[in-house]
Amino acid sequence: MQKAIRIGLLVLVVGFLGALVIFNSINPTPIDMTVWNEQMTKGNKETATHHFIMYTDIFCPYCDKFSDAVAANMEHFDKHYIEENNILFEIRVTDVNYENGHSTNSRPAGEAAYCAAKQGDFWGYYYALLAKIYKDYHSRGIGVDRYSEKIPTLSMDYFYNIADELDSIDRDKLVSCMKNNETVAELDKNTKEAQKKINGGVPRFFFDKFTADGFAGTWNTDNDYKEVQRLMDAGLASK
Amino acid sequence: MAIRKIIETISDRSKFALVSTGYILKKPKYLAVFLLSFLVFLYFLTFFRDGSSNWQLIWSGLAIDRKLEILGRIFPAILENFTSFYGITIIFLSLWQGIVVTQIVFALRNREKEQSLNGVSTGGIGAVLGFLALGCPSCGIGLLTPLLSAIAGASAVALSETVGYALTILAFILLLYSIIRLGYINFIIISSKNYKEEHAKSH
Repeated sequence: MQKAIRIGLLVLVVGFLGALVIFNSINPTPIDMTVWNEQMTKGNKETATHHFIMYTDIFCPYCDKFSDAVAANMEHFDKHYIEENNILFEIRVTDVNYENGHSTNSRPAGEAAYCAAKQGDFWGYYYALLAKIYKDYHSRGIGVDRYSEKIPTLSMDYFYNIADELDSIDRDKLVSCMKNNETVAELDKNTKEAQKKINGGVPRFFFDKFTADGFAGTWNTDNDYKEVQRLMDAGLASK
Repeated sequence: MAIRKIIETISDRSKFALVSTGYILKKPKYLAVFLLSFLVFLYFLTFFRDGSSNWQLIWSGLAIDRKLEILGRIFPAILENFTSFYGITIIFLSLWQGIVVTQIVFALRNREKEQSLNGVSTGGIGAVLGFLALGCPSCGIGLLTPLLSAIAGASAVALSETVGYALTILAFILLLYSIIRLGYINFIIISSKNYKEEHAKSH
């Protein structure tokens, strides 16, 4: 009897998992293809023949591996994918890791990203912030996976100081934007919207009809860019 | 008193399991079974360690050579497991799963017909939990978070990291239970076989 219960339980668990995997593979979640924030896109919205969306959280290491690899191969990414393949690439920044209680830094990072977008240089700020996080933490094995040491709660200056590296971002405006929580409502609305589409997890990619969760990177930008290319090419092949 | 007895029994059975595991792994064909199952588990655990994107790429419209490239790139990724605590956890899970499979194969090939094999299904549940606990629950990738959010909604995702740790520990406990249980059964099988052989020789 006991044996039958155990075997039954095993069959149930394996069957449920299998069904879930198959269901998720063949039923991609339908998403709103309207651009959330024009500043967080690359490519020509009017003429693009593909719309690739990445849901992210700036303090999600897997998301950062993807973006670090793109940053290191920006010329190829922009020329081959954005121009030649006419892709509209959109990043949807959320603070799901803050909402889920996993990172206190996600919220100010998300706010800062939207504040930078207000000043017209989301991409410059985004890549500069990621480069700093990599230099200060990820490259030292901090905050890279579930068992590694967590990134401590960062001071607001950490986010303000990025502006000093960029001519396009006015530090005072950034400080004022973040102190007055000018972008919190947008961040909250977008995170809430994202949570309905991403099963709680980031990165989630919706590249035309191809969807993927997670990113199998190694913090080696050459290797990781090959993975980026696989995802992008899978997206291109899906239409 | 009862607890002491239970601890003594577990301790005794663990020793028997250790002896039988050593005995089985000294035999080349069972060593091969162990190595093969260890590598298979290690491969699949590594395949899913950073989320299900590998799986989704395999089912995508990519050309076959790109898909083979994905399957091939898991091998260097296996070696990278040795460089982090998370990776070491994956290696140990695979090792224990490999031992359970070898114990099952040995027991199935050598048991008496009426002998039951308690521990097989528990080992299976442990192996499944090992897969469930993979990924980065705090980022929501892996199999656990979608499962939690499908069952209990997005709010349950906050629990995913804790549940992930708990499942990893549970997977190890269940696998250990299976190793001790099956190891004890195999010890009896080996002892009985040796006795019969000795008995046959003396007559």
